[in-house]
Amino acid sequence: MQRQSVPGDVIRLDGVTKTYQADAPPALADLSLDVAAGEVVAVMGPSGSGKSTLLNLIAGLDRPTAGTVTVAGRRLDNLGESGLARFRARHVGIIFQFFNLLDDLTVADNVLLPAQLAGASRRTARARAAELLARMGIERNADDYPARLSGGQRQRVAIARALVNSPELLLADEPTGALDTATGQEIGRLLQQLNEAGQTMVLVTHDPALAERYAARTIRIVDGQLAGAGVPA
Amino acid sequence: MSSPVSSWLGAVRTASGGMLRHKVQVVAIGLVLLVSTASATLGLALLAASNTPFAHAFGAQNGSDVTVTVNSARAGPVALAATRGLGGVTAASGPFAESTVQTQFGGQPFGQLTLAGRASPGGPVDDVVLNAGHWPDGPGQVALDGSPGGGGPVLGSRLAVTGVPGAPALVVVGFGNSVTNTADGWVTPGEISRLQAPGVPPSAQMLYRFTHAASYAEVRADVAEVTGALPPHAVTGAASWLAAENQAAGNGAIMEPFVVAFALIGLAMAVLIVGNVVSGAVVAGYQRIGVLKSVGLTPAQVVLAYLSRVGWPALAGCLIGVVAGNVLAIPVLQNSAGAYGVGSQQVPLWASVAAPLGMLVLVGLAGFGPALRAGRLSAAEAIAAGRAPRAGHGYAAHRLAARLRLPRPVGLGLAAPFARPARTAVTLAAIAFGATAVIFAFGLNSSLSRAAASQTHSATVPVRVLQFGPGNGPGQTPGAAQDAAVPAALRDVPGTLHSVALYGNQVKVPGIAGNVDAQAFGGDAAWIGYGIIAGRWYDAPGEVDVNTAFLTQSGLAVGDTVTVDTSPLTQVTVRIVGEVFHPHNQPVLFGSTQTLPGLAAAANLQEYDVSLRPGVSTAGYVQAVNGALGQQNPWQATSQNGGGQFYSIASDLVGLLALMVAVAAGLGVLNTVLMTTRDKVHDLGVFKSLGMRPGQVLTMVVAWVAGPAVVAAAIAAPAAVALNTATVRAMAGTAHTGIPAAFTQVFPPSRLAVLSLAAVAIAVAGALLPATWAARSRPAVALHAE
Repeated sequence: MQRQSVPGDVIRLDGVTKTYQADAPPALADLSLDVAAGEVVAVMGPSGSGKSTLLNLIAGLDRPTAGTVTVAGRRLDNLGESGLARFRARHVGIIFQFFNLLDDLTVADNVLLPAQLAGASRRTARARAAELLARMGIERNADDYPARLSGGQRQRVAIARALVNSPELLLADEPTGALDTATGQEIGRLLQQLNEAGQTMVLVTHDPALAERYAARTIRIVDGQLAGAGVPA
Repeated sequence: MSSPVSSWLGAVRTASGGMLRHKVQVVAIGLVLLVSTASATLGLALLAASNTPFAHAFGAQNGSDVTVTVNSARAGPVALAATRGLGGVTAASGPFAESTVQTQFGGQPFGQLTLAGRASPGGPVDDVVLNAGHWPDGPGQVALDGSPGGGGPVLGSRLAVTGVPGAPALVVVGFGNSVTNTADGWVTPGEISRLQAPGVPPSAQMLYRFTHAASYAEVRADVAEVTGALPPHAVTGAASWLAAENQAAGNGAIMEPFVVAFALIGLAMAVLIVGNVVSGAVVAGYQRIGVLKSVGLTPAQVVLAYLSRVGWPALAGCLIGVVAGNVLAIPVLQNSAGAYGVGSQQVPLWASVAAPLGMLVLVGLAGFGPALRAGRLSAAEAIAAGRAPRAGHGYAAHRLAARLRLPRPVGLGLAAPFARPARTAVTLAAIAFGATAVIFAFGLNSSLSRAAASQTHSATVPVRVLQFGPGNGPGQTPGAAQDAAVPAALRDVPGTLHSVALYGNQVKVPGIAGNVDAQAFGGDAAWIGYGIIAGRWYDAPGEVDVNTAFLTQSGLAVGDTVTVDTSPLTQVTVRIVGEVFHPHNQPVLFGSTQTLPGLAAAANLQEYDVSLRPGVSTAGYVQAVNGALGQQNPWQATSQNGGGQFYSIASDLVGLLALMVAVAAGLGVLNTVLMTTRDKVHDLGVFKSLGMRPGQVLTMVVAWVAGPAVVAAAIAAPAAVALNTATVRAMAGTAHTGIPAAFTQVFPPSRLAVLSLAAVAIAVAGALLPATWAARSRPAVALHAE
């Protein structure tokens, strides 16, 4: 049954199914989910449960086989590739487990890139990038290449890059998965600060502590289906 | 339990099986090898065809060393048969009755044809090769020397024979080729009597091969031997195979320089592209091999696996390529055989073997190095080697590109080639070779067009009035009234812009052995537009122009004076004021009838050259002039068009070779971009996840090759100009002529700039397909493709 969209929802998934191969079980099966503006939702589940598939669908990196995906007020399942690319550039920031920084660009150029692709003016983009680098505490590394940075610094660069276009939604795929505990906690605190400033976030994580500490709500996915949802204690 | 061999091959099969997952690369390898092999086969075939084709054809067709024409009323069959036994004669054919007739085709004069009566094309001497149709087997049939089409007769055409009783018609039933041009056509032996003009003595030809006929002196001795064995005055003419060879060399050898130029370009590019494709395919497989080594593949199995990975598509490409090369060569060789006048030519077997073998060796050499390296690497190193390019390369370029006020995808694309300098260099070279070939082809076509226009004057002299009308049968010459009718007709028929009478005769010039062909114009002839190599066109009495052969053979130079003996009683001293483009072995001299008074005689009047006012129909003008001259006047106007068969064939060849080289270059670019796309598949996923749109991805990927394309254009433009100049000069050298500077000055800056875009076109065409694939790929797939 089609549900009514609730004003203030940043994410709304209705009966979403994603199948990669016709004769294989679906990666996601008839999944429905709402995320309100300013909310932090942690997505947990074992490997292969469908967490990354869910993230890809919300980010507009992939399309559902069935169902509707509405993010920041836009139906993604019927957008073309160019429409999806515009959507990603303006409305979503993505943080990856392994940072996915471009090694041949400086830190500043990595951060600037989404703004440049979205057509922002040079001056505005540079000002925003400088502000974010300062906010992440890595302004001194602006001209460095990612290979010279520590894991924590790289993830800060990735967060700055994800925020450069001021997206409504920040998606983080195992943001602390490649970091040591102390650095992971630093990044966690950074994400918490962002949320306190009103940033809506979806965290995919294996780490119950991260979910418990920073997420307002945790959903569990097992075999492509919601296994439970709750508010961490 | 499996045998060691089967387990060994099994491991190799497993390792090399990865190529099926890289279908595009397999197709790219196959296509590059196909084009390269086809190009090499065609190039070798052309080289073989242009390398002493006359000698090959002469041997294959038992060419006639000497063709002796006799008055058969004086020398009967018995006397002629006796000459077969002469000391130097090794083979003989004939006697074949012959007749020289005037013909018309389609109502227009078709010229004078020497027709021989032969029952079959074969024989111990002059084995005529039938190109089309069949040999005449009944009355009213003729097989013509040459090939059908080109505006001339085709199979089934009717030729009207004029100047003989009954004006018989001949239907063209075949086309053949006599390597020594023993006749213009052949009919059945019984047909000749019907084609004899009244009062003309019967004629026959004997074809001989001699033990010694390598030089003019030996040929003269051979003719003397035959003449001595026959009754006095029986021999009325003799033609040597040396004259036919000279003519063939003039057509064929001239093609060698540009065929060699294209063959070298094609070969160099094939080496580059094949090396790049193969080593790229090998490097792309490192990671897979690394994984398989970790589960027990031996170094030797790795080497074999690598080579088999590229070997199968390469083999398939080579095999299809050699077939394609042979198929492409058929029409080209048919055309060139027509130009050489040497009968049919085929792709030699050695070319069909050497081209694919050479390419496979090249593949082996290109793949062996990386394969050996892969074999020696540890499993961990192999896996690491299959990943992204070495860190640090291209960073500065990216930093600089980020500062430029360019759309970001363009900046990212322009900086990308610096990450793989070696691969970029190969891509650049491939584009440069391709663009050089294209620019060179355009330049050569322009040069050849100018040469054709200058040689044939088809643009400036659309109409000629020549003596080949019905009143010009053997023994007949135009009367004074008929001669006088020509200038009157040209004056009276509307549309004449210029006209000039041309007289010709042989003259003597001190220092030149043999005769000089003197051409004297009975008025202003500057409008004809002879190409000036040095000096200027004559414009005063006492001045002449000469061709290159004249200067070469006389040792004179422009500005020198020389005495010309125009007849036994008339000697004039003239000053050479210019060297003109008139490619010919024989020295030629051009002047006015005022300068060369002995030539201005009715007997020397060869033709009238005519130019028309703008907008005048050539066909209508010719009809009007011929109407004014009357049907019985031997002088008839005819239109001339086209630039000559040689130029047409050369132009087709140039176009074909340039196209093949450009296609190979485009494939080279495609492969490089494909490999780079694979290298950067993860980065492409990241770009897309950050919001790069498909159009921006397309732009970025195309921009990968834009920089190399611009550099390639900057290299290709001067290279093509230099190559064109060198080639045209070499071609002129083989044709025994200098060339006017205008023939090589075919690249004004604006044209060169436009032609240089060929580099960009080749690069973009090659990059567009992989760029489209990259643009269409799903970001989620790309992100997880690593």
